[in-house]
Parts: sequence; structure tokens; C-alpha cells
Amino acid sequence: MTLLLIGLSHHTTPVAIREHYSVRPSELSGLNEKLVRSSEIDEAALVCTCNRTELLVVSRTPEAALERAHAFMRHELGDGSARPSHLYELREADAVLHLFRVAASLDSMVLGEAQILGQVKLAYRAGVAGRSVGPILNRLFQSAFRAAKRVRSETGLGASPVSVARIGVDLARELFESLEGKRVLLLGAGEMAESALRSLQQAGAEDSVVLSRSSESATRLARKYGGRAGSLEALPEELGSASVVLCSLQVDRPVVSPREIESSMPAHQGRPLLLVDLGLPRNVDPAVNELENVYLYDLDDLEEVAKRGRAQRGAAIESALAILYRERDRFEGWLARLPLVPTIRELLGQAHELARAEARRAAGSGEVGSNDSQEAFERMAETIVAKLLHRPLKQLRAESEAGAGPYYAEAVRRLFGLELEDEEE
Amino acid sequence: MTHIAHGLAAALYLLASLLGAVKRGRTTRSVIWLLAIGALVHAVGFVDLHFQTPPIPLGSFPAALSLIGWLTVVAYLLCLGMDPIRAGAAWVAVGTGLVTVAAGLAIRWQGPPVAGLESSPAWSHAHVLLSAGGFSLLALTSLAGLAYLAKERELKYKRSPRLLLPSLEGLDRFEHVSLSVGFPLLTLAVITGFVWGADRGISPWTYHTFWLLSAWLVYLLPVGLRVVRHQHGHLPARSVVLGFVLLVFSYVGIRLLGTAV
Repeated sequence: MTLLLIGLSHHTTPVAIREHYSVRPSELSGLNEKLVRSSEIDEAALVCTCNRTELLVVSRTPEAALERAHAFMRHELGDGSARPSHLYELREADAVLHLFRVAASLDSMVLGEAQILGQVKLAYRAGVAGRSVGPILNRLFQSAFRAAKRVRSETGLGASPVSVARIGVDLARELFESLEGKRVLLLGAGEMAESALRSLQQAGAEDSVVLSRSSESATRLARKYGGRAGSLEALPEELGSASVVLCSLQVDRPVVSPREIESSMPAHQGRPLLLVDLGLPRNVDPAVNELENVYLYDLDDLEEVAKRGRAQRGAAIESALAILYRERDRFEGWLARLPLVPTIRELLGQAHELARAEARRAAGSGEVGSNDSQEAFERMAETIVAKLLHRPLKQLRAESEAGAGPYYAEAVRRLFGLELEDEEE
Repeated sequence: MTHIAHGLAAALYLLASLLGAVKRGRTTRSVIWLLAIGALVHAVGFVDLHFQTPPIPLGSFPAALSLIGWLTVVAYLLCLGMDPIRAGAAWVAVGTGLVTVAAGLAIRWQGPPVAGLESSPAWSHAHVLLSAGGFSLLALTSLAGLAYLAKERELKYKRSPRLLLPSLEGLDRFEHVSLSVGFPLLTLAVITGFVWGADRGISPWTYHTFWLLSAWLVYLLPVGLRVVRHQHGHLPARSVVLGFVLLVFSYVGIRLLGTAV
């Protein structure tokens, strides 16, 4: 079995192309299901965050699976605008480490951001729902979650959490002396919007308006943070009084156009207007940035801002990487032991069955007296088997982690006569 | 004495600007102290102008230049409490350093006294003091305007910040406050200048007055935009920078170009 990963992210692909490859969470499980229907793919999981779309695949025929995955990524998932140079391809240990880095937010635009783990968990759940996650991906995701939690709790990255929304707040400070008295307009009422609103309120912005397609979620968020809620129809009217606009809607095309902004600008009287577009696909037409006194930052721009702060967290990154390497080795060890599992299971089954049969035979021949003594005799026989096999099995696991697993498995099967049973099966 | 004081003050200002440049525009205590000591030494040099033989009148070009430089530093130090201008120490230092060097050289190489400068001392003093005060504040206004335009560019085109500039809103606010005081001073300086000229019996239409009035008219735009239309941002910032260029030209440029203008 080979683990493969292909994808595109903010490191390789501009947002203008990335937005054509984004997948709604509700579509994930259906796509996963479709993938595992291919004969080349045994397990699959799509990971889609605001900055990446990646496909994890487990296959016995890696080359064929890779070909299928490429075709799926470029033409079935996206519109084919991604060039081969935009897509990256990782195998085995590299793919494992990559997923760990993603989950631990080491590959994120903003190092240490908390939302990414939630998005990876969502991808895992969608894989489980689409029955495309098998034992290998299941273990891989569980290991990734553990690694991410360790990074958060054991390194400085978790101690001072940062988010994309937080960078938006820092940008607002570049424009405004204080956020007090400034109106914040949020387009979207999801997790990202909530995180942004929380950060903005901490920075002093008390006046907020939440606009969303779902009035229920907008009202819930507005009520929680003491703001006002409305529908997207109110956007042109609200733009005139907002100083900061944070967009995180799931839309197919921009909802904020230059014309709308232009007609709202007289109300600003030359005061700056900051638009932070956290959406993928983008919520705001990029031409908006051409307008005077308007400053638009999309995900690629935020990436540049985030890079400036990355150097300051060098030590924490080193510690986090050390954790991820250890977790990767642990997973790789498990993966290497995987082919041995049926052999060990069979060996243990055969030995315990033998012990129980001998105990029963002794009981039948009257060698053992009472029922209690018979049970004790059975337990003793099984304990002897377990103790006898403990050291060889430990050695077998160790050898298999060192890469010699298949040879040892073969030897065990021949020595204990397991081969014939397998063939019969 | 006045030469030494002007030279020393200019050296201190330029040293402060160098220190600011080394610190990537960060205003440190040492920069502020250098500016403050420079202003003290400068004050001594300025006062000593009156004890020269013959005394250098306040209405003369070197004295006015020295006063403008000194007042700019003093205005900056008085405005230090306002965050937006605090970041401009290095720029104030380099500007006043160059003005003080020019004043020192003008004192050393000044020609024969211009006739009539001593007449109507009340009007001449009022004109020079108001112009110098207005000029100093408008220098700080244009510095804030320039910083606004630089910051705007940096944010618009997502460039890595080269200088530690305050927020756009802060710069705009400082520009507004300094323009609100500087422009009335300039207006009064223009009026007193006309009255002083009339007293001396010279035509009010000289190259100096032409360029000064042009600058004043350009300044009317940001003042009008701000006061009448409550307009902020890009356009007022550009206007104050252009106004200051014309203002400098009306004082210095016409002297450098002489009759060519």
C-alpha cells in the first residue's frame, strides 16, 4: 500500500486559481465516495481549507492512482486552470509529514492558527461519512490530530495563538489610530467571522454589523457579540458607514463590486476603508483596490503580511518540527508493522487455541479435579503462550520497523505453518 | 559666536537625523535629546544675531531662515505628545539641519544690508514671526502629508514597511491640526507682509509675493476640503505637500534662481 498526496496551496498557486479548486464542506463526502469507486484507489480523503485543496490517497497501484488523482484534481474538482507546476505531489513519509504540518498549522499562512485543525477534522469526518477512509487514513488522521495537539500544548506556537482574522486586526491598526467608534461590517457568520469579530472586539471595535445569507446565523453571531444582524441585501447601505469590512462568505463569485464601493465612498469623506477578504473563492472584486482610499487585502496579501512575522517564531517552529518528526516516525513504524498484523494475529490465535485445546484435553482425561482448577489450568496455559511469544513478537515488530518485516513475516508463516492456512483462505 | 552656534546646532540636528536613519526611522530618546540640545544651541545663535555689528535684522533672509529652522524643531518638540508626529524626528532633524546650515552660510556670506528692513519694525517683526511660525507648522504638515502618501502607497501595494510610520488616520489627524494653526498664521503673514511692503513704499507684486500667494491659494484647497467638505485622506495630503513646495520656492527658490524667475 502506498500513501500519496497531491494538491495545491497558497505556496504554489495564486488565489485567482485556487478559488476555482475550492470545495464546499457539504460536497466533500460525495467526492470522497466517488474517488474510492475507482479501482486504482483504496482509500481517499479530500482536505480543503481556505488556502489549500489536497487529496490523500492510499493505493496498491500508486502510478495508476496518481494518474487518476491528477485527472480528478485538475478537471473534476477544478476548472483545469491549474498548471502542472501549481500541483505538488508527495509520497509515503513526505505525505505523512505534510499532513502533520498542515494539521499543526506549520504550513498555514499564519503559523499557529487554530482554525486549521478544525478544517482537517472536518475533512476526516467527511471521509468517514463517504466511507473512503480505511485503516491507514484513519490512523494517519488520528496521528495528525495528536501531533497537532502536542504542538499546541508543548510549543510557543500554541502559547500565542494567531489567526488570519488577527492579521486583519493588525492591518486595521495600520489604517486607524484606534478601532473605538469604528463600525465593523462582517460578511458571513461562520467560524472565521466569529474569530474575526472576537479579535476586533478585543481591539476596541464595539460597533459591528453581521450580514449573511442565513439570517439565523447572522442573528446568532450578532446577538453573541452585541452587534446588529441583517441580510446581504443591506450591503450597499451598510458599506457607507463601515470602516472595516471582513468577508468570509462561501460564494461562487464576488459579492462586493467596485461600483458598490465607489457609491459608498462619498459617505467616508476620504477616510480609509479596509476590506479583508478571507473568502475562497474571493468575496471582493480585486479591482476594488484601485479605488482611492480603499485598501483590499485578500488571502495572498495576508500571506505576505504573515511572512513578516514568521521569522520571530523560529524557536517555536523548531520545537514543533521536532514533535512532528517524532510523530511521523511513530506512524511510519505502525505502517511498517501493518503487513505483519495478519501474521501476528494468526500466530497468536493458533497458539492460544492450542493452549486451550491442551487444557481441555487435560480436563477430559481427569488429570484436573474441580472446575475451578480447570479454569486456572486454562489461564496458566494461555499465560505461558503469551509469555513465550512476547519476546519473539516484540523482536518481530522491531525488525519490521527497521524494514525487514516482510522477511520475518514469511519466516514466521513457514516456521509455524501459517502459510497453508492463508492459501486455503 | 553666532556662526559657531549655528554650525553646532546644524551638526546636532544632522547627527540626530543620522541616528534616526540608523534606527530605521525609529524615534529614540537620544534622537529627541540631540534635537532638544540642538534647539538650545540654535536659540543662543539666533539671539546673538542681534549683537552682531552691524546687528542682523529679523527681517533679513538669514535671520528668517534661522528662525524658521529653530521654530520647526521647537514646534516638533512641543507636538511630541501626539503619536503621529513622533515618528518624524529623523525627517524634522534632516530638514532643520539643512535649513540651519543654509542660515549659517547666509549669515557668513550675506551682502550689504537691504535698505528699509529696519523701517516699520512692528510690521516687519509681525510678518517675520508669523511667516516663520506658519512656515514651521506647515513644514510639519507637509511632513505628515508626505508620510501619509508613503504609508498609503505601502498599504495599497502591500509593500514591506521600510519606515515605521504611524497609522493613516493618525497622520491625517496631525495634518489637520497643524494645518488648522499653520494656515491662519500664513494668512496673517501674507497680510502683514503687504502692510509692511506698503509702509516701505514698495510694490506689493514681487516674485516673492506671487509665489507666496500661489502657495496660499494651493493651501486653500486642503483647508476648504477639510473645513467645508470634511474631506480627509489622499487629496488634502497631496495639496499640503504641493503647497509647501511652493512656499519653500517663494522664500528660497527665488533667491537661488534670482532674476531668472
